[in-house]
Amino acid sequence: MEPLTLSKAEILAVLPAGALFVTGLIQLLTDLADPNKTSRQEKTHLAMIGATGALVALASLFVQGTAASTGELYAGAMTDDLFGRLGAGVIIVTSLFCTLMAGGYLSSSGNNRAEFHALVSFSAGAMVLLCQSTNLVSMFVAIETLSLAVYVLAGFFRQQKAASEGAFKYFVMGAFSSGFLLLGMAIIYGLSGASLSFSAIAAAGASDDALFAVGALLVLIGFAFKVGVVPFHSWVPDVYQGAPTLAVGWMAVAVKASSFFALCRFLYHTGGGAYMDQILIALSIVTMILGNLAALNQQSLKRMLAYSGIAHSGYLMIPLIVALSGDDILIGASLPFYLCAYAGTTLAAFGVLTALSKATDKDQLGDLNGLAKSRPLLALGFTVALISLAGIPLTAGFIGKLMIFRDAIGAGFVQLAVIGILTSLVSVYYYLRPIVAMWFRDPRSSFDLIPAPWGVQFTVGACGIATIVFGIFPDWLVELSRISVETILG
Amino acid sequence: MIPELESFKMPILSLVTLTPALGALLLTLIDRNNKALIRQIALMVSFLGLLFSLIMVGNFDATVGTMQMEENLPWIESLGISYHLGVDGFSVLLILLTSFSMPFVFLSTWKAVDSRVKEFHIALLLLQTGMIGAFVALDLILFYLFYEAMLVPMYLIIGIWGGKDRVYAALKFFIYTMVGSLFMFLAILYLYNHAGTFDLPLLLERLRTTNPLDGTQQFWLFLAFALSFAIKVPLFPLHTWLPDAHVQAPTAGSVVLAGVLLKMGTYGLLRFAIPLFPEAAMDLREEFCWLAVTGIIFGACMALVQTDIKKLIAYSSVSHLGFVVLACFMNDVESLTGAILQMVNHGLSTGMLFLMIGIIYERRHTRELADYGGLAGVVPVYSVFFIIAVLSSIGLPGLNGFVGEFLILFGAFRADAVWGILAASGVVLGALYMLKMTKMFLFGPLVHDANRSVSDLQTREILYLSPFVIMMVWLGLYPSTFTKLVQPTLNLYVQMLQN
Repeated sequence: MEPLTLSKAEILAVLPAGALFVTGLIQLLTDLADPNKTSRQEKTHLAMIGATGALVALASLFVQGTAASTGELYAGAMTDDLFGRLGAGVIIVTSLFCTLMAGGYLSSSGNNRAEFHALVSFSAGAMVLLCQSTNLVSMFVAIETLSLAVYVLAGFFRQQKAASEGAFKYFVMGAFSSGFLLLGMAIIYGLSGASLSFSAIAAAGASDDALFAVGALLVLIGFAFKVGVVPFHSWVPDVYQGAPTLAVGWMAVAVKASSFFALCRFLYHTGGGAYMDQILIALSIVTMILGNLAALNQQSLKRMLAYSGIAHSGYLMIPLIVALSGDDILIGASLPFYLCAYAGTTLAAFGVLTALSKATDKDQLGDLNGLAKSRPLLALGFTVALISLAGIPLTAGFIGKLMIFRDAIGAGFVQLAVIGILTSLVSVYYYLRPIVAMWFRDPRSSFDLIPAPWGVQFTVGACGIATIVFGIFPDWLVELSRISVETILG
Repeated sequence: MIPELESFKMPILSLVTLTPALGALLLTLIDRNNKALIRQIALMVSFLGLLFSLIMVGNFDATVGTMQMEENLPWIESLGISYHLGVDGFSVLLILLTSFSMPFVFLSTWKAVDSRVKEFHIALLLLQTGMIGAFVALDLILFYLFYEAMLVPMYLIIGIWGGKDRVYAALKFFIYTMVGSLFMFLAILYLYNHAGTFDLPLLLERLRTTNPLDGTQQFWLFLAFALSFAIKVPLFPLHTWLPDAHVQAPTAGSVVLAGVLLKMGTYGLLRFAIPLFPEAAMDLREEFCWLAVTGIIFGACMALVQTDIKKLIAYSSVSHLGFVVLACFMNDVESLTGAILQMVNHGLSTGMLFLMIGIIYERRHTRELADYGGLAGVVPVYSVFFIIAVLSSIGLPGLNGFVGEFLILFGAFRADAVWGILAASGVVLGALYMLKMTKMFLFGPLVHDANRSVSDLQTREILYLSPFVIMMVWLGLYPSTFTKLVQPTLNLYVQMLQN
């Protein structure tokens, strides 16, 4: 066996994830050393320092590395390229915002424990690795690590029945999906002559095999569970409703983003085998239609956002289809952009929800009544987020939809664009309902006027402004998104 | 022509378009309780907008039919979207109409809107930017952006400051408009993939030469564009959102909606749908003309039986804009001149009628015709203004309405006598419902005691109504001031379609 030597690139590449893991460990250890659990502020600060450290490590990757891939690191287990860095950036920034909001949210719900921060750090580290992973084993380990942390986060309010129920459901479903994933990986591993890394699998040339298609399909199903693609979505609304609002925001943004980044890399490298494009088209259409239709009639905002998130998974599959269609001009560059836009708007939306809900109870549409009068800026931020999710111009969401539908038409999938447009229209209706409640209705008498914590205000404000800025001047992010997708194709 | 101004090339179209939005930005800094200051700033900003559009008209070269005062800057280069503005005969009068109406709309709201004054003025100013922007945009995505940007402020204006069923009406307005515009969005993306640009002049060029569309593509793309504009017009049978929106909207909302927003539909047909897909437009000409004629008659008949004054005027809009759509499909210079004049005329007369209904509503808080009668003796000045507006709407020779309607009927008779006869009967019906309304409203016995104490027009109200009257007389007696601005463009347009 060769002695273990690490190159500089290998050390740099794991620093962002490493910083997050170390922070999580320190959180747990300092919590042990502090039996009275008094230092709430310090835990938040520590988590922020850790996330900032990860961000600095990531920035050093941007500065040190070139845009192109560094090639395979750790014997093909991971790589450092612009695509992975972009995904890592989305996740680390999201974790920073979640930490900012966590302080006030946790203490007002009476569950202020260091474990929350530790779990967010652990899952964030795993997600960063997931975005960078280039072989089956590292991908699976990253998914399992992040899933275990997120299962616990979903049931964090363990005194509440709904939280435990949701977390248990999530755990069972998640275990199932991991089973699919692992089975699929085993088949691919066997077929491609015991290769683990994506590039070796592609080089083995087994992708024409019918059994390979089965393996790739099983992997796809595993991911479909994680991101909530119909028909593997049934856990999403229940888990969203029961879990702490902040944890839901974290799940909705980071789990979805990292899973899509990984799925994108897996499919682009291996090609997905025969029938993959037809399967993706079918899943995308069903997800867009059912996700949007189911969102129409939700009274609970968290359930509404859950179904809206499902619907967005449907839109996000369109770039994958376009990329697999082999048209090399349109390589699905819209995926990273759309994910960034989705992350910003969803964070803002859940930020507002955390300000409303002390625990998990206040998330009914009627709870928003008159918000524009009592907290105009919060209402404005939420409105921007909803308008962006609906894809109305001057928001990042509009540019994202423009790119996705343009590519779909360009690659000849006009039917996908038509269905996407029709379902967007449906979505306008349910995204307008909270706006109507906030701006057109009078507040309920029992409306409590606790000022929103500054962390929430900052997050909603920053995400709202970013949504508008990237809606008007998206050039930079569009280019970054395009180059990053080019790097994984080499 | 003002030679001094031409020498230093200011971005006049950007100024006309963006001044209101900058004013809205300024308003966000003002304390919300200082209502008087907010109103004055908004008024001043809108007058500034009017000033800039007058400079634009001064610089407008009436001998040239092509785009003028163009501004073309790259904007989102990675997606091929540019900031391309320009003005020609199609848009020049509509921009002027918009900038002309807004100051008086602001003046009219000083008493009527007293809650959330700041937000109201911000919404109206953003709406103005959206409307003018849509008239000057020459990049399809930029146009779509302004087109949608009108939607949100108008939605808020109806939904927050509207009447009893405002939420329903606002939602209906939003969803209807969204249906159309999303299909247009899809068609725009399709065009981009086909011809590789969002730029309208470039696109027209490429569709004609290097990248022609086949018949099926033209058909579907034309339908997608036309659906969006037909909803906006609104063309029968897509008009059902309009009466609801008008009745529930506050006065200012109704004036802007009738005065300018509806013209976006017919403008879009002339600027985009027909020139981009001329063959499909020709194939579907009969169908659209029949719908337009049906709309003329149907709108007039519906107006005849309304008891709510606002609803009556809303249906009269359906009828009047039917004339415009009919003329859009005629493809001869006279009819098209008529179409553009009719757009401006309808903006003036209907805008003024809505302002006047707003004035009486502030005093009596009812819009039911049955609650009025015999007002002529109580409020003589008001009655004179009201009758002028009604006569203008009917198309009395000497006032603005006559010229446009005459040109359109002339063109219709030439194309098909049946359309001509049906459209002409729409004019007769128009006189019927308008005069019937005037009779019930102003004349007859004074049966309701509440009407005895209604006060007549104040100076402020006379101040913002008089410009409308002046314009009506000007357009009626000397229309060539305005028609000569549009002629060269129309000549070019008709030539282009005939090739």
